Amino acid sequence: MRAGLAVVAVAGIAVAGYLTYVHYRPDALICTSHGGCETVQESSYAELAGIPVALLGLIAWCAVLALVAWDSETARTLVAAIALGAAGFAIYLVTLQAFVIDAWCIWCLVNDLVLVPLLTILAVWRALRTADA
Amino acid sequence: MPPKPRKPPPRRTDTKKRNLLIAGAGAVAVVAILVVVSVVVAGGGDSGTTTTSGASSSALFAGIPQDGTELGAKDAPVTFVQFEDLQCPICRSYQEDGFSQIVQDYVRPGKVRLQFAGIAILGQDSEKALRYALAAANQGKLWQYVAALYANQGEENSGWVTDDVLERLAEDVGLDWTQLQKDAASEEITRQMDATAAEAARLGVPGTPTFFVKVGDAQPYAVQPSSFSIDAFRPIFADALSQ
Repeated sequence: MRAGLAVVAVAGIAVAGYLTYVHYRPDALICTSHGGCETVQESSYAELAGIPVALLGLIAWCAVLALVAWDSETARTLVAAIALGAAGFAIYLVTLQAFVIDAWCIWCLVNDLVLVPLLTILAVWRALRTADA
Repeated sequence: MPPKPRKPPPRRTDTKKRNLLIAGAGAVAVVAILVVVSVVVAGGGDSGTTTTSGASSSALFAGIPQDGTELGAKDAPVTFVQFEDLQCPICRSYQEDGFSQIVQDYVRPGKVRLQFAGIAILGQDSEKALRYALAAANQGKLWQYVAALYANQGEENSGWVTDDVLERLAEDVGLDWTQLQKDAASEEITRQMDATAAEAARLGVPGTPTFFVKVGDAQPYAVQPSSFSIDAFRPIFADALSQ
């Protein structure tokens, strides 16, 4: 399970890293008839008090990877807490894309609908299982 | 008197679960704060109906000849073709970043001529905005009107290209609104839009913005600046001007 968490965290770093890169280098994107990432990344919701949301995600994924490497009881609890927080924020971000920005960013969805739920399931299960032990 | 029964010490597993619960509650609280900040800051600052005066764009283009969709001297050795969608936020980024300096440093001195190649790939708002931009060319103010549209760009396909917005911007840049409406609905504008869309397809334009350089009568070639800052465009123009 620890290895699984590490794999998910590395994938999360890759996706959030790419989204952070295109946030600072918007010319890396072009608008296509499919719409999508450029709209989401250029929307006013792409930053939170001046900090790119993608960068916040990248920091969180790096923290998860570091805590998985640490592997203490405190680290397991913190990973579960980050995972629960990330799940809540991912729900908010997907809601924004669906109802406010009205555009879908595929890499944001990979993060919000695949990686974050995987992280949450693995991290909470791991923390509960060790608590029962 | 019998001793009071002692409370049993909490089990270690209970402590662990309680810590987990506290951490989870803390995480939820942090997320709630983040969501509130996001909604207040972003939601409040994104009306999509910001207004801009035509004065700044008028100053930028003042004295530079405009002919239809082209800006700059007719005998400029290099033509820079810009495939754009007026709804595209990345095109707006280009407009806000290197574009003004390109006009100042290359178009005004007569080195480069810009060609607006408008395509409507993102939806109905794109098409409506493009029609009016092309119609503004009939009054010699396409570039001012395009700048005003970018400055007032709303969320994609949110219906931001309303008659009210178009009329207000037309007044800002000094266009005859009645004539603009008439021209925008004309067959000639439809023909122009179709021709540019066909040219984009022929050149394999993948999206917007996409740039091409044309030196004299030679075939245009695609260029990809590393960013939208003026420094990223300088080597492109230097290379074209040296040919």
